[in-house]
Amino acid sequence: MTAYAELCVTSNFTFLRGASHPEELVKRATELGLTAIAITDRNSVAGVVRAFSALKELARIAEEAGQGAALPRLIPGARLVLTDSKVEWVALPTDLAAWSRLTRLLSLGKRRAEKGSCHIGLADLEEWGRGMVLIALPPDPLDATSFERDLRRIAARFAGQCFLGAAPRYDGQDQERLDRLAEISQATGLPKVAVGDVLMHRSSRRPLADVLTCIREGCTIDSIGDRRLANGEHRLKSGEELARIFHRYPAALRRTVEIADRCAFRMDQLRYQYPDEARDGEPAPTRLERLAREGLHWRYPGGPPPKIVSRVEKELHLIAEVEYAPYFLTVYDIVSFARSKGILCQGRGSAANSVVCYLLGITEVPPESITLIFERFISKERGEPPDIDVDFEHERREEVIQWIYERYTRERAGLTAVVIHFRSRAAIREVGKVMGLSQDVIARLAGQIWGWSSTAPGDDRLREAGLSPEDNRVALAVKLIGEIIGFPRHLSQHVGGFVITQGRLDELCPIENAAMEDRTVIEWDKDDIDALGLLKVDILALGMLSAIRKAFGLIETHRQQQLTLANIPPEDGRVYDMLCKADAIGVFQVESRAQLNFLPRMKPRKFYDLVCEVAIVRPGPIQGGMVHPFINRRQGREKVEDLGPAMMEVLGRTYGVPLFQEQAMQIAVVAAGFTPAEADRLRRSLATFKRMGTIGGFRDRFVGGMLERGYDAEFAARCFAQIEGFGSYGFPESHAASFARLVYVSAWLKRHHQAIFTCALLNAQPMGFYAPAQLVRDARDHGVEVRPVSVNDSIWDCTIEPRADGSHALRLGFRQVKGMREEDAIWIKAARGNGYPDVESVWRRAGLRPDALDRLAEADGFAGLGLSRRDALWQVKALKAPKPLPLFGLDGEGEHEPLVDLPRMTLGQEVIEDYLALRLSLRAHPLEILRPNLPESLPAASILQAKGRIQLTGLVITRQRPGTASGVVFLTLEDETGTANVVVWKKVYEAFRAAVVAGRLLRVTGRIERDGQVTHLIAERIEDLSARLSTIGHQLRIGAETERAGETVRPTRTAGRARHPREQAKKLFPSRDFH
Amino acid sequence: MPLADARAVCPSLSTRPADLIREGRALEGLRRWASRYGPHAAKDGTDGLIVDVSGVPHLFGGEVELLADLEARLERAGVSSKSAIAETRGGAWALARRGGGVIPEGGLLSRLGPMPVSALRIEGPVAQGLIRLGLHKIVDLTAVPRAPLARRFGADLLRRLDQALGTQAEPVAAEVDAPHFGVRMTLPEPIGLTADVMGVLDRLLVRLCDKLTSAQMGARAVRLELQRVDRSAAVVDVGLARAMRDPVRISALFLKGVDEVDSGFGIDGLRLTATVTEPLAPEQIGNAQARAEDELSDLISRIGNRLGFDAVQRFLPASSRIPEHSFLTVPAAYAAPEPFPPKRRPRRPITLFPAETLAQVSGSPPARFSWRRMAFTTLRAHGPERITPEWWFDDPAWRSGVRDYWRIETNEGPRLWLFRTPQSGSRDWYAQGVFL
Repeated sequence: MTAYAELCVTSNFTFLRGASHPEELVKRATELGLTAIAITDRNSVAGVVRAFSALKELARIAEEAGQGAALPRLIPGARLVLTDSKVEWVALPTDLAAWSRLTRLLSLGKRRAEKGSCHIGLADLEEWGRGMVLIALPPDPLDATSFERDLRRIAARFAGQCFLGAAPRYDGQDQERLDRLAEISQATGLPKVAVGDVLMHRSSRRPLADVLTCIREGCTIDSIGDRRLANGEHRLKSGEELARIFHRYPAALRRTVEIADRCAFRMDQLRYQYPDEARDGEPAPTRLERLAREGLHWRYPGGPPPKIVSRVEKELHLIAEVEYAPYFLTVYDIVSFARSKGILCQGRGSAANSVVCYLLGITEVPPESITLIFERFISKERGEPPDIDVDFEHERREEVIQWIYERYTRERAGLTAVVIHFRSRAAIREVGKVMGLSQDVIARLAGQIWGWSSTAPGDDRLREAGLSPEDNRVALAVKLIGEIIGFPRHLSQHVGGFVITQGRLDELCPIENAAMEDRTVIEWDKDDIDALGLLKVDILALGMLSAIRKAFGLIETHRQQQLTLANIPPEDGRVYDMLCKADAIGVFQVESRAQLNFLPRMKPRKFYDLVCEVAIVRPGPIQGGMVHPFINRRQGREKVEDLGPAMMEVLGRTYGVPLFQEQAMQIAVVAAGFTPAEADRLRRSLATFKRMGTIGGFRDRFVGGMLERGYDAEFAARCFAQIEGFGSYGFPESHAASFARLVYVSAWLKRHHQAIFTCALLNAQPMGFYAPAQLVRDARDHGVEVRPVSVNDSIWDCTIEPRADGSHALRLGFRQVKGMREEDAIWIKAARGNGYPDVESVWRRAGLRPDALDRLAEADGFAGLGLSRRDALWQVKALKAPKPLPLFGLDGEGEHEPLVDLPRMTLGQEVIEDYLALRLSLRAHPLEILRPNLPESLPAASILQAKGRIQLTGLVITRQRPGTASGVVFLTLEDETGTANVVVWKKVYEAFRAAVVAGRLLRVTGRIERDGQVTHLIAERIEDLSARLSTIGHQLRIGAETERAGETVRPTRTAGRARHPREQAKKLFPSRDFH
Repeated sequence: MPLADARAVCPSLSTRPADLIREGRALEGLRRWASRYGPHAAKDGTDGLIVDVSGVPHLFGGEVELLADLEARLERAGVSSKSAIAETRGGAWALARRGGGVIPEGGLLSRLGPMPVSALRIEGPVAQGLIRLGLHKIVDLTAVPRAPLARRFGADLLRRLDQALGTQAEPVAAEVDAPHFGVRMTLPEPIGLTADVMGVLDRLLVRLCDKLTSAQMGARAVRLELQRVDRSAAVVDVGLARAMRDPVRISALFLKGVDEVDSGFGIDGLRLTATVTEPLAPEQIGNAQARAEDELSDLISRIGNRLGFDAVQRFLPASSRIPEHSFLTVPAAYAAPEPFPPKRRPRRPITLFPAETLAQVSGSPPARFSWRRMAFTTLRAHGPERITPEWWFDDPAWRSGVRDYWRIETNEGPRLWLFRTPQSGSRDWYAQGVFL
């Protein structure tokens, strides 16, 4: 076997160029028995951590199998593409210092350029190239000699580090090329070394590589011409194959191994120092201890319970031992900054298991109310950092982020990246375009994809889109779509994961500009950071916190009551009463469809019930089949089986059913015989396992372990399924508790201050599960008076107005008006004085442009002046100039226009106009107008009493297809009397797919099914009546011309494309779709 | 509605792309025909015709009868149509697009009044704006004071309203006919000699080319009709490789065709028409480059008129890794020449031919083989160049998969381009080209 190290490999982290995942490359390199493999992406090191993790996983498997199989070594590096030279350089750092220079060089180039590109010149390479092996890849063809000057220049600067890369191309001239390279090598003194210039792990990826070329170049496969790969030889090759090509130059092959030996840098050498967070000469541990003690005083004014005190001691001791005090202080500082600015925040994540976090004010959940598992907080043997996520108000998070940049500087702090992968929709769109499918077919195929699907379209989808799956071209496209899904497309910024260092961050990893202004991002995502053991602080955004802060503000103004997250009266029975009735629209988390169904069965009566409620309706427990046993046992319909004292200690508080992430992990320890470290590694590396397809081994061990200890096989399988689900979607108990806290707070607000709560929710949009129309409707159902948008009363935000009876009314703000700008709203308010007498005065005084006035008139904002919508529009139409002329009145003459009597609008027209301008109507529900034409449909409110088969018609307000419910779709239909839940089983869904996916107004025929207080309609037949929505406008118009339906109702501003009634309905009555 | 949606609604839907140019031509044809109902006929948009029929209907027995006649004739010709007669152009326009018929004198307002405002030939946004204000029908507009209306929607709305209701005149302007490129000559005495015919032809050509010059057109095909005294006729067609109007050069192309015509009892009439014309801008004379191009196009015309223009082909570059797809051959008369981009590698033979199997091959790459019944021994072999088929395109010639091409220099002289197909498992070698 010929020893060979592949030194030039382009993975698919060179976006739209490389055609194989780093994992595949590493695996293939192992199969080929290579000595080493370097991952060298173009001006990037984004893929190396993936390769590193994959190799670790391969090593683990080999170890488990008991073979000391020789694995290739991984050489991290980059291929430097310079702006001022035709020669590309593969840079392989030989030690940690060289790695730091490489990342600083890349950061330099990336910070100079716009997002996604990198500007490095020869001079930069000269400055930073010390300690790296540099392999020159001269341009092809080699006829010109101008590049030799560049080779000499770099070689002179870094003697002994530079090599000349020779890559065979299989174009019939390889031998000539190798001879020519040997000459150049002689002339310049750069030793020749064999490289493969690898683009893919197997030649079967050639079609995909061509498709990527097309996407990059913006052409189709038929016009790709000679930009395609002539052959699949840019694949990973074995030493033997290379030896055959380089048979006259064996030294070139030998040199690869020598270089690989020289590159001693390994990813796990990356050590970094966390900021020490010492303040005023007070070292971090002392400061943390002091703050914790202070916390004991203000958290427990009556003196802390002894259990807590001892726990604090234990925690502080451990923190000191593993030296994580600075990390806690960082989070503490961030949280204190937010507090000082009045930004609401709350911590969650595993560190919420700690009393110290509670004492520092990072978390709000009293440690007495949940079980604290110390191991989950930090464990010594794991040596892994705790993770604390902090949620901030979504509208003001940017302030916190900029503060962090300011405090630690951009050299020391950076957001982690998120790798944006091709998902079904993007894959279909891009590959479809390349394969020459027509635009409308692509749109149709992509439109069928629900949410973030990750599979290629099936045969029936193709037929629906008017394609024949037997067609060769279509079959190829589908295969390629399947292949490209999961490929990284570009790097984006993580929602808020910060990496902070004591030294320079750019010596660890390249930093680049993000698309957003004032943000800088590192090249690695959170899995990569995890794999390398870097600490990350998550600065997350939560819409509900914004809403709660706004509600607190309103309560303070209107009720003179100062509320904080901490002083909301706890355990209010009336709040739980409300939740038990599933009256929870707008309440954090539990407002979703599944949660609303679950509430009446769960019947929460205390805080811990909410914790369970939040945790159980998650993919993890649902996949693990834990929901039904839990509910049955809670309702006393099933006995809690005794699983032995060890298990009962873990599961006792949740009726023997594992709900939380840590319970699943504890089962692994207690019942399946894993060590705690193993159990946690199992959870943490689930993502890698799935990519590498090695989850099976763990499953056998887990189930086997449980069987050995005498557990039921089915129970064991269920537990494992849950761990799998938890991998991405599980809640730890402390995390659920933090969320439950917000559930309680928002429910309390809803129960006691419905008007203020709705107002705050509207002002914090977009967020949550429901559209403003449903929130407003819910408020009105609770007896809140909602007042329309009015030019004389509204401001940008929705406001609370006092009523004569002392209660509050909700005034809609200009933010509800579609297309209105905040700036205009501010001017209207500023120039209002004692109110506007007419339309013209708004134009003159507030300086609004006629198009903004037009929008206001459409939203019926002048009704307060006694002007109907049409009268207001008529007046706005007369104002043509953007600004009034300084001297003249109405066009200089004719002060008095003759009065015009415009026809009145019908109710239906008003409702349609309301929806067009505001997306909601305070006048009537569209169904109310359609009702006379739907005699056979029952009102939604009456289905509680209904029996058997019924028919129901309603607007679709939400539709959901949970990944866990095996193709079942849940619809929420709304009519003028209320909402109804519709369950569409897979078979029915397949039959009425188009209606379910795209319909806005549906008529559903089906059976009523009851479970306790919850009533579902099980759909049997579904009709799409969306076209009728567009007829509401002229329900009552007699003798109207029969025109195209689209013309009679005025289309929205983006008209033209939306002429079909169904399209129009889509714009009028949007639904919120979740996957 | 996107096509895919329509297909989903009606799977058997048959579709054809719109051909706007041909539709325009057909409408032009109809316009000329429609002038039988009145001298002032004009196209109206892309789908309508307008004819001023003042003083005409009594010839057909009345307005209703005129319409019936028109529709019957169109129906016989396979054209489905709607037509209307009204006092005003705007009225007829609106009615023709909403059912058709006749509006009797004085009935404009009562007939147009209930129609939607969009029947007024106004722009979409204006109509939308009116509808939003509740002004749906034309009669609604007449009730609104005019000045406020003009202030809000512009004077155009009122103009259209007035034109429809006849308060403002709107005449129909007849369209000019396209020029006809044809000349003829009748002779007092029949002629029969080729030289005589050519003499007449030259005089005709001068006139035809003058016509072409004044219209800035050039001929691509010219037809000569020779009428014999016995009322029979002979036709000579000549194609031109590019548009031209030079009598001398066109005349030369006719010589052979005229020579072959049997003059019978003599020819007493000639008609010359340019059947296909193209725009041709005036040219500077004496331009050396243009002359060289003229010579080439004369050559193509000459050969093309004998062999057919499809048989005279030229090479154009194409972009493909597949050797036989890296160029195109197209009829020279219908494609402009394009230079091949300079490309040095991979090297390609000067002649390519469909793959031919080699016989008596020994060695790989072959050391000895025979091709076209000649035996060769290899002096040098360069390769392999590996070319894979285009995976998205099923080319029968490439079904055997990957090819490894070798450049073989033989002791006997020829340098050949050979390949084998390692994926098919066959051990055969093929020759596909010869290097110079």
